[in-house]
Amino acid sequence: MSKFQPIEFYKNKTHSYELLPLRFEALDDQSYVVTNMAGEYLTLPRDKLSKLVKHQLTSSDPDYINLRARHFLVDDKTSIAKDLLAIKLRTKYSNLSEFTGLHIFVVSLRCEHSCPYCQVSRASDDKVAFDMSKEVADKSLDLALKAPAQNIKIEFQGGEPLLNFPLIKYIVERAESLRGTKNIGYVIATNLALINDQVLEFCKQHKIQISTSLDGPKDLHNHNRPRKGSNSYEKAIEGIASTRRYLGKYSVSALMTTTKASLGRVKEIIDEYVEREFGGIFLRPLSPYGFALKTKTYAAYDAEKWHEFFVEGLEYIIELNRRGKEFREFYAATILSKMLTSTEPGYVDLMSPAGIGIGAVVYNYDGKVFASDESRMLAEMGENKFQIGHVLKDTYEQIFLSDALLDPIEESFAYSVPMCTDCAFESYCGADPVFHYGIYKDFVGRKPDSEFCNRNMKIFKYLIKRMEEDSFVKQLFTDWAQPNA
Amino acid sequence: MELQVFFDKAIYSAEAIKKAAYRFIDKFSAVISENGTSYSCFIKFPDKSTDAQAARLVDEFKKEVLDQDLRESIKRETEGVRNLILAHTFSKAGLIKDE
Repeated sequence: MSKFQPIEFYKNKTHSYELLPLRFEALDDQSYVVTNMAGEYLTLPRDKLSKLVKHQLTSSDPDYINLRARHFLVDDKTSIAKDLLAIKLRTKYSNLSEFTGLHIFVVSLRCEHSCPYCQVSRASDDKVAFDMSKEVADKSLDLALKAPAQNIKIEFQGGEPLLNFPLIKYIVERAESLRGTKNIGYVIATNLALINDQVLEFCKQHKIQISTSLDGPKDLHNHNRPRKGSNSYEKAIEGIASTRRYLGKYSVSALMTTTKASLGRVKEIIDEYVEREFGGIFLRPLSPYGFALKTKTYAAYDAEKWHEFFVEGLEYIIELNRRGKEFREFYAATILSKMLTSTEPGYVDLMSPAGIGIGAVVYNYDGKVFASDESRMLAEMGENKFQIGHVLKDTYEQIFLSDALLDPIEESFAYSVPMCTDCAFESYCGADPVFHYGIYKDFVGRKPDSEFCNRNMKIFKYLIKRMEEDSFVKQLFTDWAQPNA
Repeated sequence: MELQVFFDKAIYSAEAIKKAAYRFIDKFSAVISENGTSYSCFIKFPDKSTDAQAARLVDEFKKEVLDQDLRESIKRETEGVRNLILAHTFSKAGLIKDE
């Protein structure tokens, strides 16, 4: 007897199979994307999909084996499919039991920049009014250390957090003395204008990472990010160089914001990142919060223009890779991780249940606790819907079991939201109740009207189409999907 | 501009038509009613719509009703196994504790 079964064994002779849960969306006029419970996808022509659902597909059909292998159907050869799906699904949701991993400390709201799109900063010298106190820092840290997660990240934000560097030192040293068996990573989100040897020495000592802003070439960056001396770009570039000298090449990452002035310049922006030897870029749109709304910066471009900008940038990055330059786009990479692996990258905007409170929490300078960074930005516009407690008044349980946190998570859960419940891309997407509340005054919004939904649907379809039509892109995106590979 | 579309009750469910109409909520409003052997869908387009735009949207709407009908078939057949997989998934996640 042969070691292996003959190929005939694997053919479904009776033509009988059982469907496993699946969802679908039209990709274009001809084909549909079909996804299973774990988010694995296949593309099929409409008539093939219809045949599949009506049990008219035979095992000799070229798509049959793929559909079976990706757990869209089970027959008498594949009894283990349901168990495999459960394992993949459990892996995707395993982060939930860890609870909050990212704890953001807003140590000062003061800033020496005056960027028109910034949601929160204050050009003030009033340390008492806009700096976090030691008392608030102590209570915030106690809450952060109560999170069940074994690995937590503490991120210092502002304003410009280095304006209150003594408090950063205090918090890091106290966290190190209280952390027990927890692993804590630290990040300072800074424009680097105030970075110096003393700060860098401390960062080196405590393995603190730096996250900075780089909006593109000099004229664009300085236009977007005005400060006294009009030298924001020069300060950022010098800061990146000195940070790398002290902490190593990969110790500093950069984020860009797309303003109206950025449109049409995506290649130059990417070139700036390549020249500065970053491994990738996160092409991100403006958030509809705070001063961005107030100053009409947000309304300066619509979702359509954003998509054109994003696609032009992504195509340029693909070309760079084709020419041998390794470089990633991180928003696409985050989505691709969800599409092509069982891991959940934990990006707050693309989580369902929503990542607010679960993925990240913000301890504001004044002791207020917000469900996410965007929540505090909304609060700066006078909307306190997502303030979930106060560090000086509320316990851990009161904060994380508050209606202010649980109501939006429950109501926006995509599994039970109109349209999302049937959407093939649900497992790639997020609930984002803060965005929807900010725009529509409703945790869910009507998805056909939702800019969030439209923007992401277009990107999901675009990524899949590119993988389907170009084997180089498929391989490249597969690499991006595995950030640690 | 207004149009009326009919769907055979023996073939389509009201749920499928409602779900399809929801997906077009940004493009037209729809009032669905029962009318003997069919469901009637009274569609109202924004004032500025042209005949060609309306015809295209009605065409897309009909295709979407077909898609929703297919989704119902899938849901009917897979509901049991979906619940089984979800229960199996979370039974080992440590999230659900016995009272």
